[in-house]
Amino acid sequence: MFKLLRFMKGYRKESILGPFFKMLEVVFELMVPLIVANIVDIGIKGDNTAYIFKMSLLLVLFGLIGLSSTLAAQYFAAKAAVGFASKVRFALFEHIGRLSYTELDTVGTSTLITRMTSDINQVQQGVNLTLRLFLRSPFIVFGALIMAFTVDAKAALWFVVVIPILSVVVFGIMLISIPLYKKVQSGLDRVVGLTRSELSGARVVRAFCTENREVGEFEERNNTLTETQKFVGRISALMNPLTYVIINLAVIALIYTGAIRVETGIITQGAVIALYNYMSQILVELIKLANLIINITKSVASGNRIQSVFEIESDQTERENAIVSADAGTIEFKNVSLKYKGAAENSLQNITFSVKKGETVGIIGGTGSGKSTLVNMIPRFYDSSEGELLIGGVDVKEWDTEALREKIAVVPQKAVLFKGTIRENILWGNENATDDDIYSALKTAQALDIVMKKDNKLDHLIEQSGRNLSGGQRQRLTIARALVKKPQILILDDSSSALDYATDSALRKAIAESTDGMTVFIVSQRASSVMNADKIIVLDDGEAVGIGTHDELLATCDIYSEIYHSQFKKVVEK
Amino acid sequence: MSKPSKKGVFSKIMRYIGRYKYLLALSVLFAAVSAILTLLVPVFIGDAIDLIVSKGKVDFAGIGSILLKIGVVISVTAILQWLMNIFNNRITFNVVRDIRNEAFKRTQILPLSYIDTHPHGETVSRIIADVDQFADGLLMGLTQLFTGVITILGTLVFMLLIDVRITLVVVLLTPLSMLVAKFITTRTYSMFQKQSEIRGEQTGFIEEMVGNQKVVKAFSHEDENLEKFGEINDQLEKCTLKATFFSSLTNPGTRFVNSLVYAGVALVGALLAANGAITVGALTCFLSYANQYAKPFNEISGVITEFNNALVCANRVFELIEQQPEIPDDVNATELNDVYGKVDLDSVYFSYTPEQKLIENLNLSVKPGMRVAIVGPTGCGKTTLINLLMRFYDVTGGEISVDGKPILTLTRKSLRKNYGMVLQETWLCEGTVRDNIAFGKPDATDEEIVAAAKAAHAHSFIKRLENGYNTVLGEDGGNLSQGQKQLLCIARVMLCLPPMLILDEATSSIDTRTEQRIQKAFSTMMEGRTSFIVAHRLSTIMEADIILVMKDGNIIEQGSHDELIEKNGFYAKMYESQFI
Repeated sequence: MFKLLRFMKGYRKESILGPFFKMLEVVFELMVPLIVANIVDIGIKGDNTAYIFKMSLLLVLFGLIGLSSTLAAQYFAAKAAVGFASKVRFALFEHIGRLSYTELDTVGTSTLITRMTSDINQVQQGVNLTLRLFLRSPFIVFGALIMAFTVDAKAALWFVVVIPILSVVVFGIMLISIPLYKKVQSGLDRVVGLTRSELSGARVVRAFCTENREVGEFEERNNTLTETQKFVGRISALMNPLTYVIINLAVIALIYTGAIRVETGIITQGAVIALYNYMSQILVELIKLANLIINITKSVASGNRIQSVFEIESDQTERENAIVSADAGTIEFKNVSLKYKGAAENSLQNITFSVKKGETVGIIGGTGSGKSTLVNMIPRFYDSSEGELLIGGVDVKEWDTEALREKIAVVPQKAVLFKGTIRENILWGNENATDDDIYSALKTAQALDIVMKKDNKLDHLIEQSGRNLSGGQRQRLTIARALVKKPQILILDDSSSALDYATDSALRKAIAESTDGMTVFIVSQRASSVMNADKIIVLDDGEAVGIGTHDELLATCDIYSEIYHSQFKKVVEK
Repeated sequence: MSKPSKKGVFSKIMRYIGRYKYLLALSVLFAAVSAILTLLVPVFIGDAIDLIVSKGKVDFAGIGSILLKIGVVISVTAILQWLMNIFNNRITFNVVRDIRNEAFKRTQILPLSYIDTHPHGETVSRIIADVDQFADGLLMGLTQLFTGVITILGTLVFMLLIDVRITLVVVLLTPLSMLVAKFITTRTYSMFQKQSEIRGEQTGFIEEMVGNQKVVKAFSHEDENLEKFGEINDQLEKCTLKATFFSSLTNPGTRFVNSLVYAGVALVGALLAANGAITVGALTCFLSYANQYAKPFNEISGVITEFNNALVCANRVFELIEQQPEIPDDVNATELNDVYGKVDLDSVYFSYTPEQKLIENLNLSVKPGMRVAIVGPTGCGKTTLINLLMRFYDVTGGEISVDGKPILTLTRKSLRKNYGMVLQETWLCEGTVRDNIAFGKPDATDEEIVAAAKAAHAHSFIKRLENGYNTVLGEDGGNLSQGQKQLLCIARVMLCLPPMLILDEATSSIDTRTEQRIQKAFSTMMEGRTSFIVAHRLSTIMEADIILVMKDGNIIEQGSHDELIEKNGFYAKMYESQFI
């Protein structure tokens, strides 16, 4: 957390002035009981009306000064906190942009989103509250103590007794209830989990007619949650009554001591009133302080989580004088193996093959056989752990990453589009593309009819994550987005899975016709998608068990013919 | 949906609270007594101070008895407060539990169309977040509203009993603090709205871009994103600063008004005391009242905002609870037993929304034991057909019957029990592997479960799991692969082995080896059973007795593979496209 404070740098002035003005406010607040004591002792006892007027005016004046210092304090605190959070957010977003696929895999994007949003908000609130309040409460508590001593040292001893007892009670109850609140949270998580799972499995539950059992399970979990809540409630319910009793017992003691001191003439009646007032101020502030500490604890935890993201360093390094321009058409894998971070075994094992410019390569194999891994290495999303990968004759690690990726277009498995118009989405591939370019890419991608059916054509708005389009429509648009880039290498990573066979084959045909000189990789589980490729690579458990054309593989590669026959069983017999 | 009156929501809430009316009555009583006792303490302290006049003029006996009284009063107050808190807790959490149970029960009898058309996250948030928010409001209302009102009234009475003139000062000046608070909140409301708007925009952007960071990187779009993010971020900074600062003015503002009241009381009170109209003790008592008088007002306005909020949330839960459930089974509905497996669809019409027609005049006759393959492009209505067969949705026209009995005259339970269903989404429940297999038959013996798993070709992988059949699966199957999950779903059906089957042949995310095992499991299961298979694989399609080719909700062709190829229509075209 403290490392995050580097982002406070520009706000040094604010972070000093904030607490300073807060302290000023406290000082004036602490003067009030003394003034009242004087009103009693001098004004009332001495029947001095002018003095009473003067002192009352002083009270108003102090109130005003207090108000203005608070305003200043709040302003500086808000400015520092908000500015700080804003800087952290920007830096974090930039940092996330620099992470490689490996790091994104390890951390998980949903975690990153939480860090960017709720954690930063929590930290902002924490900084704000700290600057505003963290000094106020101790100032008041100890200020009241000191003021009490200036009034009468002996009576003030009660303060010395009460403050620790109160602190023990207030903080003790909090310490006991915090872990219990965690238990409440986990109880709630169980209820949420069941609710969510039940909604997504509604069909299965009803098909098996187990509704009553689900309700029973829910009631049980819900009941456990309620019992925990009530238990925690009973403990926190002690806070108010206990502190109330303690502070009032102290008042009783204070008055009794005060009475003795007045009897012997050491202090005045007004002084007793002042002591009583100081005692009342302490309680409120201690409770505020305890709440504040909880809040700050949460913020520190959030801060640490944010800092841990900053500490993730990208494992991919750029060479100096990296190569920017070269022809990227040819690809050569030389004994390439890849082991994902934290994985026990290699995901790719000893892959060797080469591709000439303009060739179409099919990659086929079961789930987890390493198909996506293989193509993801070409744009250097992952680095090989062994062996080397040459693109256009140059080792991929020698390439300037951005220049390399300029030459490659990937259509990922998950068809993701972004909020914005269709045009904006396609322009991701190439920001200088004209509408004609876009239409021709759409045509090749078999996506023209999607656009033509929309009233606004290219200006049709796509919602977040493209959720107002069907899976097949999204896939075709993502293909168009890649094609508009006019890349030297096109990678289709199982990107026609949501298309029916007819559209799929029309798509492959169109790509083959319109992409002269483009090297194309087609990853698929369907034999029909890859069987016409110049070269088919059959992957099984990370190993290339067959490389060759359809006919060669059918004759030599068991796994390939197994896949093929399972999908085309009787047809072949006919 | 029309906006329901606050009163309506309130009376619904009262129905739930009504179950705890004795607790509520006690809580209110204790609140009243403890509020009044709390107000007595400053009076006693004032009295005590009056007995401490000056050197040699201290009445120790009097002070002693007053202090004793204070001791008793605070002890009683503390006990009452504690009990009241406990009662309030109990009422709130019990009410919350009751409402949640009710809401969850409702989700079990809602028509599937509700579940399909409402995002699950939204329903979850109604049952969880809204109920929580409501609980907060209710608890705050219970603890603070009543106490606040009693405190205000009590203070007024006590002050009037001591001195009318000073009371006037307090009563006239205090409303100022509420005005200040109100002024600030109304001014800041729009700022907060702006803030949450921009924050929403930013969160959306973050979710989209960070969530799809890999795509962003694939297109080297990091710099453009950063620039756009910076713009939103700057906007957010500006309006957050405004909103944070202005909203933080409420406390200092009311505190200042309070100090005005304090000064006013000190002035008037001291002048009166100097004249001997009131005692110094009475002044002290007034000062402590003045200090606290504004507090319940501010609390109450807080409670009211919170409570309004709670009503809105409660209303969202009630919307769910009052949602029209599935039309219950006909009173004369009969159980479907000893099924042969003859299924007939007679001029069936169906659409999810009246504007968009889907299934029109669908006729189909399936003999017992037939295999029906349903093929067609995505979104053509394959799933809809399953929905109708299982009565997840009811037909809008025509009739579906099993063994000649119209399904609308059968109980849903018995109809569904006669179908075994394996869907593409492999849903598993939280629990052990055993629990999952025994999902439809919880009293199954271990032997039966193992036999089902073996028949589903799942036994071998289950054995290899760390705890075998006792392996606990997390939410949605945990660490199992898609294929393994599918095998468990098959085993689940295998255990019950109903006379009819509905299978969504999921092949897209399963590797070839597992797929072959699943295929074997499917074949075992289909032996002699009427089966509806949403088919993706050619071999399944060709083995079917009848193929339904669907497009845009209609069955455009039906017949055996050879017949359809002969026909040279849509099916033939789909079939050939595989060989291009």
